[in-house]
Amino acid sequence: MDLTPNDEQVSFISATAKWCADNLPLDGARSRPPALWQQLEAMGWTGMTAPGMDLDHATEALVLAELGRHLAPIALLSTAVTARWAGQPGKTALALLDKDLTGGLVRVFDAPGATHALGLVGGLAAITPLPSDLGGEPGLDLTVPLAHLDPAPPFSPIGGPDAGLHLQLLAAAFAVGCADAARDMAAEYAKLREQFDRPIGWFQALKHICSDSAVRCEVARSQLYYAAGALDAGDPGAAFHIAAAKQLADQAALENARANVQVHGGIGMTDEAAPHLCLKRAHLLSFIAPVRRDILLGEAA
Amino acid sequence: MDITFSPAEQQFRAECRDWLHDNVPDQRRPMDAADALDFDKAWQRRLFDAGWAGINWPTEYGGRGLSIVQQVIWLEEYANANAPWIGANFVGVNHGGPTLILNASDAQKAYHLPRILRGEAIWCQGFSEPGAGSDLAGIKTRGRIEGNELVITGSKIWTSFAHVADWQELVLRTEEGSQRHKGLSWVICPMHAPGIEVRTIRKMSGQTEFAQVFYDDVRIPLDNVVGGLCNGWKVAMSTLSFERGTGFIADQVKQSEEVEELLERARQTGALKDDRIAEQLAQLRAEVAALRAMTYRNISQVVRTGQPGAESSVIRLFTSELGQRLERMALLLAGDDILDFRYGDDNLVAEYLRGFAATIAGGTAQIQRDIIAERLLGLPKSR
Repeated sequence: MDLTPNDEQVSFISATAKWCADNLPLDGARSRPPALWQQLEAMGWTGMTAPGMDLDHATEALVLAELGRHLAPIALLSTAVTARWAGQPGKTALALLDKDLTGGLVRVFDAPGATHALGLVGGLAAITPLPSDLGGEPGLDLTVPLAHLDPAPPFSPIGGPDAGLHLQLLAAAFAVGCADAARDMAAEYAKLREQFDRPIGWFQALKHICSDSAVRCEVARSQLYYAAGALDAGDPGAAFHIAAAKQLADQAALENARANVQVHGGIGMTDEAAPHLCLKRAHLLSFIAPVRRDILLGEAA
Repeated sequence: MDITFSPAEQQFRAECRDWLHDNVPDQRRPMDAADALDFDKAWQRRLFDAGWAGINWPTEYGGRGLSIVQQVIWLEEYANANAPWIGANFVGVNHGGPTLILNASDAQKAYHLPRILRGEAIWCQGFSEPGAGSDLAGIKTRGRIEGNELVITGSKIWTSFAHVADWQELVLRTEEGSQRHKGLSWVICPMHAPGIEVRTIRKMSGQTEFAQVFYDDVRIPLDNVVGGLCNGWKVAMSTLSFERGTGFIADQVKQSEEVEELLERARQTGALKDDRIAEQLAQLRAEVAALRAMTYRNISQVVRTGQPGAESSVIRLFTSELGQRLERMALLLAGDDILDFRYGDDNLVAEYLRGFAATIAGGTAQIQRDIIAERLLGLPKSR
């Protein structure tokens, strides 16, 4: 039993963090360079657990949490799952189906350059080919192009139940990163911004908002590690542990993003400042592979 | 990262489980204080005789010298088996003993540690004072040095088990006129020394297991100072870091048992059909799982580096508040039956009322949040 990253994983994390700091600044998330996806592919982050790559979900979750901290492209999630379970190379967009059922409206995120989209149909991962010219405009999450398909095209299942769990795990990893980003942004601002002749972070009322964000991050990250380990170990409780990780990571991302706006005060409400980017990303993540309560209660068939 | 236990650890788990299955007493811990003390001492002795006391304590002082992972496995099985609460041995086994291991002289360790493990010596804590709560450095209880003796005057409060304790871990001011963290010493105070008066305090749960202690020219040997004269703050903090690391694992493990019991109760009574209750139980189940993961992560960090990680201060705060959420859920499921509570009942109402201590004792939730903001996030110190 070991729930800390090993030396190899630590070097993966620090290499990812360094690359992201240089190439993926969070406040530039609305205007990423067109060649970014090719760079992400070159770094090997688009299919780390694809057959033959010999990498575990724990390492993948660690790396994706770092990428998620910089609000990296959302198609990293769907591409990783498709690469792992369909052995399909290239970019795969992310699809959110109307109430998990075929027939209604489908929202497709991050479509430019993608040949397929992956979504969950009744909890199972499934893909559909995309029209070649499908683009999109930013919706609530200003960092991701969004397109609509109506009526929904037919989706074909890939992998077994584990493919759906894989998507939920990676979305949780992105949410943990997003929660970290909001926590750090709030703490930095609380050290910098002065009122009453001192940094606002001196005041317990502000300090404790920041502490609660830190607590949510540690709680969600710990469960993410356990959940990734459970999927790697083929643990019978993996579905529960991944659901718990997603539940806590979504809450951490949303609550921390809201806290970050509050700590920033007036500037936190503006389009110009970065806090709303985390808030809007957190809302998007909460709709990806949402948690089923019966699984959390251990009542699923 | 790997969530699986090694074959040797699984074997150890099986040994724990087998022994507990055969030895956990059917009798509940008695409510009467004197009976409870006898019960606690007898159970601790039984654990010691079978080799289950002080699993990660050094062998030279009666421990097993095993790994912290084995300690966790034991505590998990202990909770699974519904084994008794450690009771009056809590301070000695979980607090005083570990402080002595880190700071005491060989003679002090040789005398006290085996007695703690065998359940022969009951310890209590003497840190808080009427005027020194969250601001612990405001301690006023004094120890005047006369020859090779320390003469103690003052008062300590919120001392659990003071009326049955043999020894007290006492932090007092030994340097005349010293301020704040300087000039404090951590001493072993015999509770039967002349000049000590214990006045029990009734809690809102009806129990009288904690007290205020008064010292009127109490004379103790200067040899009872641990870790050097006027070094008491450092000694006291060494225990706090232990608490934040592994001292509360037993509570954490118990919480995962509790959430399953609550879920089962909600199923049986039909309360689970209530959306609000189902939602809260689902959340509690996720949180308890995360607490376990966070504990494992912290233990792994200790194994890897010898030190608990940054998240250990978070564990303390999260456990205490999660415990209170569980107690409130138990209350919600019980409904208006709680109105029949009377002093002397040892039930979920008593647990709920006792449970307020979790976010007050040993550093309030507000002090914990200050620590997290200052040490983890680097925000400016407000004190």
